[in-house]
Amino acid sequence: MNKEQKVRVLIAKVGLDGHDVGAKIVALGLRDAGMEVIYTGLRRTPEQVVRAAIEEDVDVIGVSILSGAHLAHLSKIRRLLDEQGAADIRLVAGGVIPQEDISALEQAGVSRVFVSGTHVSEIADYIGSVKYRT
Amino acid sequence: MDKTEIIRLQAERWRREVRDPSVQQAPERQTRFVNDAGDTVEPVYTPADLDADGFSYESHLSFPGEFPYTRGIDPAMYRREIPIVSAYAGFGDPRDSNRRYRELIQLGVQGLSVALDLPTQLGFDPDDIMACGEVGRMGVTISTLRDLEILFDGIPLDSLRSVGSTANAIGPIMLAMFIALGEKQGLDRRQFTVALQNDVLKEYVARGTQIFPAEPALRFAVDALEWCVHHAPHWIPLTVCSNHIDVAGAGSTAATAFTLANARCYLDEALRRGLEIDQVAPLMRLFLNEREDFFLAVANYRVTRRIWARLLREQYGARDPRSLQIRIMGYAHGPRETAQEPLNNIVRITMGALTCFFGGLQDMRCASYDEAVNLPSDEAVKVAIRTQQVLAHEFGITSTVDPLGGAYYVEALANRMERKIAEIMQVVDQLGGALGAMERGYVQKTITAGASRRQQAFERRERVSIGLNVFPVKAETRQQTFQIDADVERRQAEQLQQVKQERNQSQVSATLAEVAASARDGRNVVPALLDAVKAYATVGEICGNLKSVYGEYEPDKSF
Repeated sequence: MNKEQKVRVLIAKVGLDGHDVGAKIVALGLRDAGMEVIYTGLRRTPEQVVRAAIEEDVDVIGVSILSGAHLAHLSKIRRLLDEQGAADIRLVAGGVIPQEDISALEQAGVSRVFVSGTHVSEIADYIGSVKYRT
Repeated sequence: MDKTEIIRLQAERWRREVRDPSVQQAPERQTRFVNDAGDTVEPVYTPADLDADGFSYESHLSFPGEFPYTRGIDPAMYRREIPIVSAYAGFGDPRDSNRRYRELIQLGVQGLSVALDLPTQLGFDPDDIMACGEVGRMGVTISTLRDLEILFDGIPLDSLRSVGSTANAIGPIMLAMFIALGEKQGLDRRQFTVALQNDVLKEYVARGTQIFPAEPALRFAVDALEWCVHHAPHWIPLTVCSNHIDVAGAGSTAATAFTLANARCYLDEALRRGLEIDQVAPLMRLFLNEREDFFLAVANYRVTRRIWARLLREQYGARDPRSLQIRIMGYAHGPRETAQEPLNNIVRITMGALTCFFGGLQDMRCASYDEAVNLPSDEAVKVAIRTQQVLAHEFGITSTVDPLGGAYYVEALANRMERKIAEIMQVVDQLGGALGAMERGYVQKTITAGASRRQQAFERRERVSIGLNVFPVKAETRQQTFQIDADVERRQAEQLQQVKQERNQSQVSATLAEVAASARDGRNVVPALLDAVKAYATVGEICGNLKSVYGEYEPDKSF
């Protein structure tokens, strides 16, 4: 992969909890896999996430969420992206997300949900292939 | 040769001729005993250990109610009044919590500290998307004065010895709400006591509910202190906390040093505004903590009173005894509670509570034994209160003042702690005080290093949790014996809509504009906050206006 083609990823933390160890582990893993990774820091709003994603011209947003409010936050992020001409940015999610919510998230425009226990390499493989799929 | 010199020589002889040969024959359980502060614990302590620090009864201990207050701030202590039996409680919506509060009061609770949910603590109303999934979860949701009115429905504030909240970044807003609630209940402010945490500085390093950048947040917190100096000097508008810094990993010695440095930061800001030290210091309180070692805990509480008294007299020139007599509160957890065999936590919490009594605290609460498993159940809350009452009234714990005072081990620990705390405070000073030390990451580094030391000690099983790393059993799976109502969020959003329809919107806008104007002009914001909460402005609206002046805390984006 040459420099121009590096996949750019925004790791975003929405919700009010202060637990971002998981998000940071994924961010480090993706960087080690050769991607350009930006982390938003804690407690971002959907608006802030979308603004950062557009400004940073990322290919993928990875949202880490533990609060139980995944559907509300992710739907809003997807809607804002589409409204602001960034429909090409892929949205993936991870954290504490029950199995039964996954299909609703996919319908809301989340490309992929990684449940807890997923290896970072699996996430990297998926995101790494995104750029060439669309 | 004086008496202690003889004891020192005898101790050396005992070690050489009695103890060492005995241990060679049958070894001790460990080659080295180390406490959480990282110090070696000796096999026995004698008067010689105290002599090494130039210890004297008069200068180091003195009498209860006398400088430097090591033995307690009151001459009669628990012979007069037991520590305030407090509870930290709140969950779901204000109605749910009101029911719990009434039960607690029936059980004999004298002080209530309102546990707030994360959205409230961070300035988001229940209908804000940021609040989604968190409303009523970690505590009760309070967005307007109406919520507080419901929370204390049928509970006059003067029926309690103390009422307050763990509000920090929003501390002054909660102060305004309690002032307004007192007025609504028809009470004179002198008839009740509000005790707030309002210690925003530690949020940036340990607790994590900061909203604004640290400097304006500090000024905002001191607004509450300043207002109380003039209008409610018997209240406690600021409780400076070591608890969260210790638990995050710093250990109680460093945590106490950082706490005292934070306290200085608040005091200095108050003095900068022209207040006198003897006007401000009596309104402050400390929340200290040590959960890894019984004797370190007792030593920490006792010696911190001495350090405070000397600091305030020598460096601040305080004269009023009330400035020198620092009140301390504690939250009894004991060693780490486990989800394995949770009933064992009752024993741990009892040990923690004992340290509060032996430490001479003014206000305490006991944790619930099932906190590692779920939100506290009714039964666990009751056991927590009864634990404190049993200790206060049975078994002679409170019959005399400072029963562990003069114990060689406890006093040696206290002396060592006093030295270390002074050293750390000096480093903080050199880094420019609490704010400087935080900006340079010194506090954070100390916390991280300590957390990793504790984790290693746990993995090596030097730090023992029965049921977890020694005699391990499976974690309790009987989860969620107590659950909050999932519908809280929708109900509270609706309730908020109703409040918004009923209030006078132009009054709300005018008071909110005044909140922003006071903050911008550097005036004390509390009077404007009081008008705003009385007009039923929401916590979210108030914080929004303050953010427009103070700015927002910029999260750390490094990984």
